[in-house]
Amino acid sequence: MPSQIDQPLVEEIQALLADAMKVPIEMVTADLTFGDLPQWDSLGHMEILMRLEEKYGVEVNAETIARLVSIPEILQFLKENEHE
Amino acid sequence: MNTNKKSSSGVQVEIQPEVLIPDYMVGEIRSKLAYVDESITQADVSPDRIVLHLNPRGQEINASRKAEIISKTQQVVNSMARGAFKPKIQVLEDQLDRQLPYHDDPMPELAAAREVSQEAEGIFTIGPLLSRLIDFFDRQFIDLASSFEAEPRRFPTLIPAQFMERVHYFRAFPHSLSFVTHLRENLEVIDRFSETAACDRGNLNSPMESFARIRTLLSPAVCYHHYLSLADKPLVGGKSITTAVGSCFRYEAINLTSLERLWNFTMREVIFVGSKEFVLENRELARQRMEPFFKELGFAYRVESANDPFFIGEFRKQAAFQSAFQLKFEIRALLPYRNSTLAVGSYNYHQDFFGRNLNITLPDGTPAHTGCAAFGLERMAFAFVYQYGLDQAQWPANVREALE
Repeated sequence: MPSQIDQPLVEEIQALLADAMKVPIEMVTADLTFGDLPQWDSLGHMEILMRLEEKYGVEVNAETIARLVSIPEILQFLKENEHE
Repeated sequence: MNTNKKSSSGVQVEIQPEVLIPDYMVGEIRSKLAYVDESITQADVSPDRIVLHLNPRGQEINASRKAEIISKTQQVVNSMARGAFKPKIQVLEDQLDRQLPYHDDPMPELAAAREVSQEAEGIFTIGPLLSRLIDFFDRQFIDLASSFEAEPRRFPTLIPAQFMERVHYFRAFPHSLSFVTHLRENLEVIDRFSETAACDRGNLNSPMESFARIRTLLSPAVCYHHYLSLADKPLVGGKSITTAVGSCFRYEAINLTSLERLWNFTMREVIFVGSKEFVLENRELARQRMEPFFKELGFAYRVESANDPFFIGEFRKQAAFQSAFQLKFEIRALLPYRNSTLAVGSYNYHQDFFGRNLNITLPDGTPAHTGCAAFGLERMAFAFVYQYGLDQAQWPANVREALE
């Protein structure tokens, strides 16, 4: 479970993922991981990465593509890079 | 700015791409331009310039047709090159600097010796020496399969269209599909065909409505049949290792110009299905077990990360994904006469893509993971001849002895 303080950012990420994967936001749980939904496949993953790039300036490269495979990982990455 | 020139064989159109093409995308874009328009016979690509060679084939290429072709070309370049992700190449084996005895194009010699004979674009028959070489390579791959106690299987050449839809092949690789049909079960249609069918410059003259709807394709890969056989049920014992050899078909349009790219080729595969750890461990074991063979053979090659030739719309995302997760490593053999390399095999991991889409489940209910070691038998033999020539006195002793 994310801490209270992270909740707004988690909700932002959930909304971004729901939009990228074109699924109802209720399906995007706070611990969602690559492969949990059929829509979070390789194409869905790259769409999510590109939206993270657009919204938060995340660089899409081999490292981020391989690392940002769950909402907790995305949260951690955003906190490390922009929300310290 | 785009310009046009007339050449003896047709028209050349020079295009300045709207976006600069990164060096690592030049080859990918060149191969995809083959599918832009049927009048394109050759595409020369550099980062800031594309030259298309057009053959009108009896039809005038007027200003409007040229504009259409230029627009489609720009669309391809924009889709593939704009915001392209630079692949991170990981090299696992590098033997490219081996000393080799042969540096010519072997094709004239192979043709003169009747070791290859071209029936049509991308379709070649192979003579006795190359056939023995192919058998020699296949024996090594069968030995590899035996080291895993892989179950042998035989798979058909045809594959149902319905299955290819389930694994999203139409979306990812539409350009390379080969379709199978037959005459409709209709006496008039069959009689008319038998009386009138003829070929005009290689094209069958029969109307398309004589043929049945397409339900079947020619198989593009061997391992797909195994996944299909496992679909919609739990994986018995939670793991499977199998091996098979089979004909594969990938249409490559004007890229089918030499032995290096065949429309119809043969692959030997060792296929792993199970948990993620099981598949990844065995894929790596397969690579490690083949490494001594390639080294002792004296083969100039490299094993490096790669991506599949996804079609234009999916290329940018899928290729970046494959590269980032190191899903594919290709064995790339040196072709000394043109100082380039050719993929002759690959070690692949598909994650749980087939498990999810085909409902192949592990004992804990999660989708199975899959992977394979795949070897192109003709390409192996061709690459060997490209490096060692046809004079067997120049061949490594272990190959000569194995063929005696």
